[in-house]
Amino acid sequence: MTTSAAQLDPANLADPVKEAMVYLSEVSVSFDGFKALDIKRLCILRNELRVCIGPNGAGKTTMCDVISGKTRAATGKIYFDGVDITHKKDVEIARLGVGRKFQTPTVFDSLTVYENMELALPGERSVFRNLLTKETHEQQDSIMVILERVKLTSDLHTPAKYLSHGQRQWLEISMLMLSDPKLLLVDEPAAGLTDRETDLTAELLNELKGHHTIIVIEHDMDFVRRLASRVTVLNEGKVLAEGSLDQVQANVDVIEAYLGR
Amino acid sequence: MLSDHTPENGRAERVPDPAAQAAATESRLAFERSRTFVARMPDPAVTRLRMFTVIGVLLLGFVVIPMLNWIGVVPDYKVNLLGKYLCFAIAALGIDLIWGYTGLLSLCQALFFCLGGYVMAMHLSLPQGWGDVRPEYNNIPQFMFFNNLTHLPAFWMPFTSFSFTIATSILLPGGIAALLGFFILRSRVRGVYFAIVTQALAWGAWLLISRNEMLLGGTNGLTNFDKDFTTTRRWILGLYILTLTVVVLAYLVCRAIVRSRLGRVLIAVRDRETRLYFAGYKPYAYKVFAFAVGAMLAGLGGMLYPPQVGIITPQDMNVEASIFAVIAVAAGGRGRLWGAVYGALLVNVLRSSLSSDLRSGWLLVDGLLFIVVPLFFAEGFVGIWSKLEEQVTIRAGFKRIGITVSPLIILSIFILVEALGLEPAALQHTIPIPIMDTVIQWKYLLLIALLGANVAAYFSQRQNDRQTRGLAGFPPRPATAAGRIAG
Repeated sequence: MTTSAAQLDPANLADPVKEAMVYLSEVSVSFDGFKALDIKRLCILRNELRVCIGPNGAGKTTMCDVISGKTRAATGKIYFDGVDITHKKDVEIARLGVGRKFQTPTVFDSLTVYENMELALPGERSVFRNLLTKETHEQQDSIMVILERVKLTSDLHTPAKYLSHGQRQWLEISMLMLSDPKLLLVDEPAAGLTDRETDLTAELLNELKGHHTIIVIEHDMDFVRRLASRVTVLNEGKVLAEGSLDQVQANVDVIEAYLGR
Repeated sequence: MLSDHTPENGRAERVPDPAAQAAATESRLAFERSRTFVARMPDPAVTRLRMFTVIGVLLLGFVVIPMLNWIGVVPDYKVNLLGKYLCFAIAALGIDLIWGYTGLLSLCQALFFCLGGYVMAMHLSLPQGWGDVRPEYNNIPQFMFFNNLTHLPAFWMPFTSFSFTIATSILLPGGIAALLGFFILRSRVRGVYFAIVTQALAWGAWLLISRNEMLLGGTNGLTNFDKDFTTTRRWILGLYILTLTVVVLAYLVCRAIVRSRLGRVLIAVRDRETRLYFAGYKPYAYKVFAFAVGAMLAGLGGMLYPPQVGIITPQDMNVEASIFAVIAVAAGGRGRLWGAVYGALLVNVLRSSLSSDLRSGWLLVDGLLFIVVPLFFAEGFVGIWSKLEEQVTIRAGFKRIGITVSPLIILSIFILVEALGLEPAALQHTIPIPIMDTVIQWKYLLLIALLGANVAAYFSQRQNDRQTRGLAGFPPRPATAAGRIAG
């Protein structure tokens, strides 16, 4: 249960390429001249839970896009687990072990809950193997354990389009947990959820903490507090501050960015 | 120091919790129960309904129709036509796989169909395929003689072999589709752009094959096959049963595909392709697979086409033919395999009988069908069946179920009667349509009246429901297996 996060300070790594799980160096992205992202240096340690906050348009989702290969960085280098992924394609990055939950829950609507989970099982991705492969009892177990955790077992054979918003969020988080990636990019897991649903989501993330490297993007400060982890504040594409939630909330720049001058 | 604390894969192992494992085993057992008894066999009544329908259709196709033909009730040429429609049904299964499941609209299926057809027609034009080859024409197919050829061109040589012909008629369309699909789809060409590319392809191929220099008969196509195929009852019945068997086999293959995990990925491609990238899947590989399998099915259907029709021309592969095939699948219903077969039979029977009875009026009905179906039956006739199953599951009562299912029954009977030429003579009498300066047969008026009565019954029932429930048009959540267990 030891995490390297306790021993290392992500802000001062001697060799970030090797020591960090995710290392962004001088990464910038611009859309039609508008600089959406301009990160000098950002390190996320192995098995660290990192929360990214920031006002609207701060570049939080763009950062996720860049790491997962949805958007290409204009300049700079991105390393994942010691591998340079700057020029890799989205599929290759996913196969290296980067899993992602999108801002709006994206699940496969016509497939049932169980079938959605089946597609997230780690392993086979090739066409002809998938023609013959069948999930093992262990895999069925692992699916059922997760679905029980998020209370979706009674909707096992319900097509995902009939689920509520919260259930869809959970289904996507469940799929992410099942695929067991090295890095989880979780974009606004609490958006649009009721308080009780938010509680469970926080619980789930706290359970994953320490076993997986996780980047969570969130607006809800209560939710962020419950995750009790290191926080990075982004503003106008730049890293504004980093530290515990209390530290960054006391930071003058952060207050200014959030409240305006 | 780092390696002391972190396992090589960058994650710490989760310690198994006995309580959680016990719960997992229990839930797995519950899941297996539910999967066996609920997901696979929806409701005893629905299962029985499905079973009787399948047995009935198979009996009808394999036993009743051949027997009726044998005793002389059904004329030979009707069985021959039915065999031709079944060829389209095989191709329709492929279209359903590509379009209905994977969401790729391909407008060149008639091209693949004709590739299979031309390959078979080449064999049938040669002496080895009992083609009409005469010494006065240098013992080569007649059109070649008239193109001043003295010998069979080299690329025709392999088609003297029957087994080579069979293999090529399936593998050639499949190979071409795989190759084209790879280049088109890998560059992430999607949606309407894919449809346009395939349409252009179909048009280009049509222009190419129409040329005499291709030595494939030009615009006249290939013909002069053995007359026995379309005139003797033995051949007609044999080819019909062969085609029907191929339809059943093709259906079973498609069913195995869509029920595998691969089938689920195909649906996922249709639903949300971009999400698959981030789960590590390469959607294009799955799309190429579906495209190639669809093309092979089209080729298979095309292979059985020329012997039963006696001719194949470039007209069979033009863009219009492809669109017609796609529309037939839309009418039958996408995303359910039997819907494609049903649609292909329905639309082809309608076209054939209306174009002889109403002549130009067919186009009118054609257009009307393709406005009415997407508007009111977006799911095609499959939608009616799904609704029927839902209502049977909740035991909705005879009246309601009757209203739901009667369009399907009315149309099925109409198709059957039309396809077999069984309509009573009284219904073939015509009455004039005043404004349009044409005549219409009583049977169509009867069909329209029956469907109209059904629509009226449907609306009065809905009105009734609204008043009693007070829920104006609120769509009920479909009865799922899980919901039924809970309730």
